[in-house]
Amino acid sequence: MTDFDPAAPFEELRELRQAVGRRDWPAVAARFAALTDPNDHEYAAGIVAGVAGSEDFLAACAEREPGTLARTLYAGRLISAGWEVRSSARAKNVSREQFATFHDHLRRAERILVGVTAEEPANATAWTSRIRVNRGLQLGQNEARRRYDRLSRHVPHVYAAQAGIVQQFCPKWSGSFEKARAFGLECLRAAPDGSLAPLALLEVYVEICFEEGNGKVWKLPETRAEVYEAADRSVRHPAFRADGYRALTAHNLFALVFWVMGDRAAARPHFEFVGEHGGGDLWNYFSPTDGRSLYLSARKAVVKS
Amino acid sequence: MTIEQTDVDGVPALFARHDGPMIAGLTFRVGQADETLAYRGITHLLEHLVLHGHGLTDYHYNGSTGAVTTVLHMQGGEDDIVAFLNGVCASLQALPLHRLETERQVLAAEESGRSGGPAESLALWRYGARTYGLPAYHEMGLPRITGEDLKRWAAAWFTRQNAVLWVAGERIPPALKLALPDGARRPVPAPTSALRATPAYFSGDGTHVAYDGVVRRGPAASALAGVLERELYRSLRQEDGNSYTAATNYEPRGDGMAVITAVADSVPGKHDAVLGGFVDVLAKLRAGRIEPGDLDAVKAKAEDGLRGPLAEVGRLPSRAMDLLTGAPLRTLEEIRAELQALTVDSLLPVAREMLDGGLLCTPSGHDAEWAGFAPAPVASERPIPGHPFRSRRDGKVSLVVGPTGIGLEREGRAPIAIPFAECAVSLAYPDGGRSLIGFDSLSIRVEPTIYPVPPDLLARIDAALAPVTVPQPPRAPEQIPRPEAPAGPSHGSSKPARSTGRLVGAVIALVLAVVALCCTGGFSALVADNSDPQNDIKLDSISIMLMVFGYGAFLVLGILGVVLLRRRDRK
Repeated sequence: MTDFDPAAPFEELRELRQAVGRRDWPAVAARFAALTDPNDHEYAAGIVAGVAGSEDFLAACAEREPGTLARTLYAGRLISAGWEVRSSARAKNVSREQFATFHDHLRRAERILVGVTAEEPANATAWTSRIRVNRGLQLGQNEARRRYDRLSRHVPHVYAAQAGIVQQFCPKWSGSFEKARAFGLECLRAAPDGSLAPLALLEVYVEICFEEGNGKVWKLPETRAEVYEAADRSVRHPAFRADGYRALTAHNLFALVFWVMGDRAAARPHFEFVGEHGGGDLWNYFSPTDGRSLYLSARKAVVKS
Repeated sequence: MTIEQTDVDGVPALFARHDGPMIAGLTFRVGQADETLAYRGITHLLEHLVLHGHGLTDYHYNGSTGAVTTVLHMQGGEDDIVAFLNGVCASLQALPLHRLETERQVLAAEESGRSGGPAESLALWRYGARTYGLPAYHEMGLPRITGEDLKRWAAAWFTRQNAVLWVAGERIPPALKLALPDGARRPVPAPTSALRATPAYFSGDGTHVAYDGVVRRGPAASALAGVLERELYRSLRQEDGNSYTAATNYEPRGDGMAVITAVADSVPGKHDAVLGGFVDVLAKLRAGRIEPGDLDAVKAKAEDGLRGPLAEVGRLPSRAMDLLTGAPLRTLEEIRAELQALTVDSLLPVAREMLDGGLLCTPSGHDAEWAGFAPAPVASERPIPGHPFRSRRDGKVSLVVGPTGIGLEREGRAPIAIPFAECAVSLAYPDGGRSLIGFDSLSIRVEPTIYPVPPDLLARIDAALAPVTVPQPPRAPEQIPRPEAPAGPSHGSSKPARSTGRLVGAVIALVLAVVALCCTGGFSALVADNSDPQNDIKLDSISIMLMVFGYGAFLVLGILGVVLLRRRDRK
């Protein structure tokens, strides 16, 4: 069975989720204390944010626990709970009540996060959440960029923050593809060897492809050259952290992109790395009904050939 | 060198020994915050009248009317200063009222050239149309102020006990005769509030961000203003590059409190990020993070200001205000010691005090609820009970006239209420229009052309508001609202174009419908006509489809035409 659960490949994250479920704060705190990489930290916080019904536990911890972790996790859960209410539908299909609840959740989260980032300006997870809130509350394109720059001043090249800016800069959030692509290129050009920063540009191209409804973007020579450069400088580079949680995200994305580009040979190692754990939002773009089945059939076709 | 305290003719006096040209002034404990909106400008008008007649001297003299003090001062030779101050006192006793109309016009001209700074509206939203909110308003009372009003104002406020003389020079001139009437020292007004919760915000009409907070007065508060300015400048200008100006101001209010004001402008198009950056600077203070280097720099700058031969002379006007408002007079040494004792920790409680009561003005169209600021009231808590008069221009709006006040109600919105007892001003136009401003600074326009209020009821409103009514010059005809008038020129020009488009569309649709009907009718007749077997069209599936299509087209086009015509008629 293909498992699309982001915690599935990582035992310690499955344990983290259980710790949240049984309201075991010391276990939660110990797990995060062991995460030194900001991308890993942000990924693990996303697992906690996805635990339905954890609001009360996290709210109590945020109230009680010193430091910024509990507040950061609680705010993350509020944001996820808010987006669950809003749903991923286009704005015209979201009711007034859904929007009110959604905005209320985001405001509550933001007020916590403003305090967290003031106390700890290098908290990548909190800044990434604030970039997400910025989108939902439509606080502005320049404000999103300011949040990203504030984070980058302390912790540069955070994958989820860059992915958040790509979303914000797309036309669906009042940006433009030119702006999104320029940002993606900026991330690629500044990316340290073996980092996740080249991924942002790929996400821009997936967004363009989805919006245009055809595969034209993948046929452009500059797109293809940039995708191969991105692979060389991230997943294919010796300095790439294959044991980071986001390695899965990276390979999953390259599997998708090389597959839609028609380069099966390039796609194969990524499908092999991801194995049973692929899928996610970007795959859903290419199959409105079922991104999972699409991933499975693509993987089958690529790995066999 | 210190400031000596003495008195001259019963007027408390401050003296600083000084080798340069003599500087002297009289400070009175009266200002804009002591006025009412219906008499807004009376202190300034009085100041102008008193200074009239001293304009032929070559020496520098001036007057200034502040929120709680009015200062009349001069720099020059001892004889000139004696003549000036003795003359000022004489003028206060016998106002040159023949100048009243001229000075009224001078003030109106001065006012039209005045532009309130970006922070001015904060006072209006914080205090309403009373006390410390009044300086934010125009000098609305000028048209109604009479000579008798001015005499009463002078007698009540410009008295021996409510004044302080200050002199910097070789001596206090022995020839000074401060012939002021007796009265009483007047305390500063207790601040009013138009806010129901703080921290609060309102959306401004520009692209800048402005902010103020009220704190206990003192060196820590003054230093906090300096630290905040450095943080804003570094963050918004140097790091983000989104602001050009980022500055703060510290202003003692006279009641033991002080107001810290901060303003940051925006480079074009970046105001969303200026707001975000501003919020984060305040959050950094809230988190207790003050850069020690910032405090050191602020302390060094303040100490510089306390050095040099002119330090005491420069402090005289503010010491005079301290004496008038009952604040302790401290020596330079005491101030220096307090300054040196300041630490980051001593600033934190002041920062919290400022943040808890803060008021934020966001760029136009931006809210700040996401940052934990409550919206400042734009409506009243309760409606005014009374009879509603529906607007002739907008059926959803009603003016409510009741025995206790005036209200404005709009479907789906909170009401605005101005009880007569809480009306700050009624600006009365000769055409019958009235513009009311309540103590909470909410406003209502009573326009007889828009609301069918009977004349006798209008007269009752005028009677109830007579104490705060200020007559206005006639309005130009286009400024008087008309029931049918569109709201703005853009509305006016786009509407006919749209109606014309609809009319043309309707005509085309209806003509095509008739054509479709004729063709299909003719075709049906041919099908039905079996007289000529050679040219007969059979009633087969093709001809039935053609007829269904033809009649369908008639129906669709006909309905479209009618709908377009009907839409066109709607307002």
